[in-house]
Amino acid sequence: MKKPLIYSILLLLPSLVVSTSCSTSSSENISLSGAFALYPLAVKWGEEYRKLHPDTRIDISGGGAGKGMADALAGAVDLGMFSREISPAEKEKGVWWITVAKDAVLPTISASNPFLGNLQQKGLSSTQFRQIFITKEISTWGQALSSANADKINLYTRSDAAGAAATWAQFLQWDAKQENLQGIGVFGDPGLAEAVSKDPLAIGFNNVAYVYNINTGEKRPGIEVIPIDVNENGRIDPEEDFYDHAGSLLKAIAGGKYPSPPARELYFVSDGLPENKAVLAFLKWILTDGQQYVKEAGYVPVDTAILQSELQKLNGK
Amino acid sequence: MIGRQLIDKLSSGWMLVCTSLLLLLPLAIGTGLLAKSIPVLEHQSFFSLLSSAQWSPMEEKFGFYPFIISSVMVTVLSFAMAGPICLLAAIYLTQYARPVLLRIMHPVIDILAGIPSVVYGVWGILVIVPLVADYIAPLAGSQLTGYSILAGGIVLAVMCIPYMLNLLIEVFRNIPRELNEASLSLGATRWETIKFVLVRKGMTGIISAFGLGISKALGETIAVLMVVGNVVQVPGNLLEAGYPLPALIANNYGEMMSIPLYDSALMLSALVLFLIIFLFNSLSRYLIYKTELT
Repeated sequence: MKKPLIYSILLLLPSLVVSTSCSTSSSENISLSGAFALYPLAVKWGEEYRKLHPDTRIDISGGGAGKGMADALAGAVDLGMFSREISPAEKEKGVWWITVAKDAVLPTISASNPFLGNLQQKGLSSTQFRQIFITKEISTWGQALSSANADKINLYTRSDAAGAAATWAQFLQWDAKQENLQGIGVFGDPGLAEAVSKDPLAIGFNNVAYVYNINTGEKRPGIEVIPIDVNENGRIDPEEDFYDHAGSLLKAIAGGKYPSPPARELYFVSDGLPENKAVLAFLKWILTDGQQYVKEAGYVPVDTAILQSELQKLNGK
Repeated sequence: MIGRQLIDKLSSGWMLVCTSLLLLLPLAIGTGLLAKSIPVLEHQSFFSLLSSAQWSPMEEKFGFYPFIISSVMVTVLSFAMAGPICLLAAIYLTQYARPVLLRIMHPVIDILAGIPSVVYGVWGILVIVPLVADYIAPLAGSQLTGYSILAGGIVLAVMCIPYMLNLLIEVFRNIPRELNEASLSLGATRWETIKFVLVRKGMTGIISAFGLGISKALGETIAVLMVVGNVVQVPGNLLEAGYPLPALIANNYGEMMSIPLYDSALMLSALVLFLIIFLFNSLSRYLIYKTELT
């Protein structure tokens, strides 16, 4: 009496194989993973694109730039979101990439930091940030603000392989890597923002999209930015003061007033030129019509010349 | 009937194949990890990899000592907290409590076991880390962030409880009532009965329950990673941050692609974890064997 069961299972097996292969060959699925820096923008693009192409499914997950690169090269996703410079070793592996937007990493502190006013007046220079994050020569808030205060600076960094950490390290010291950053490692951009906002003596760094509320352009409650003293004169001059609102900050990034790094380009990466038609159509839309949502989502658009050359890459040139 | 005998032969053959597949699985995992870790072993000796505290992959320096120590500290701490609680709770639930309590306890255990570990991690960040930072660290007189071995140990202890408790309850429930009654009728007190009869009789089961709990603690990744601080250092005390082996692998998964030796070093760390669990399981097997003899 067991036989019919076995036969029906045997009969079902091929049909299962056929049905799964069907769903992949129709290629209406686009999957992305990687940098938290790109995540909110990718979600926005996904939503807008779905309005135009309702039968395309777009799955987006975070995990950090490192995961994006690994997943893309392993073929686990169609596109990896990536937020640091692509290393020579990764280029050797045959990674293919296009620039899709720009943003920046910002040094962050808690809004309840007792030295907030003083910090916003004086700012910190890249040298001081290096002494805090890499060499640890500065370990108290008194040392950072040349006062006698002995409160320790609680350092936070990213634990997962992250573009934000790599870009931040590069800003502090050109050959520094993520592993050179000291401090408590917290997983993910949202996790780091949460940890910094809860600890009054904390200092960390975050992507623009996690410091400002995309819809209002205001800073998220609980988190504040330390202005960067670009000319190192010990105070924040009017032309260095653009952190109040996401709009003014993005303008400063686009105009180069905010140094680069920590401003940086954001990429989509994949294992060679994507063959999936749906993915190519999505990328083409991002480089053309999709660019109108970049500013809205709190990012800096890419120059038109770069967009043109990226479009050419899509055609395999 | 040839057909029937053939099916009989075939089905026992299938079962043999399945069983041997299972037997070969640990071997296959071990060999795979070993094969991948050979490049880094050629670069640096196994002993110096394990004993060095210097970790800077970009300069090709791989020292696993801080990670191993952190793993051991978190695991021992979580076991020290969860082990006695589970043992006493299991004894109470099976010997003293009314049966209705046990019926309530089972779904609670199932819920605890079913909560995804990332949820435990979030709970750790929201509750345990501030608890350590605001109440426990000031006792030690320091300004600390709360991301520490202690926070990792507490979260892990809670995660191990359902596994250990469930097994322990089963162990005590399977000990025949007559043994209990015999001991009591000889004039032993209840506590003496538990100590000399119940625990003794259930020793093999207790060891394997604890063994399962510790193995679970050693390999747990996400929840620990979220609260332990991930600083490469040999933690001086429980309030300092650590960096257990599984967290190392999970965090650096993405960087493996770019640097060949880094890739190999991470595989070696996986192999080390595998070996620790292997050794640990052999030890508890040996203990079980010993107690079964007596």
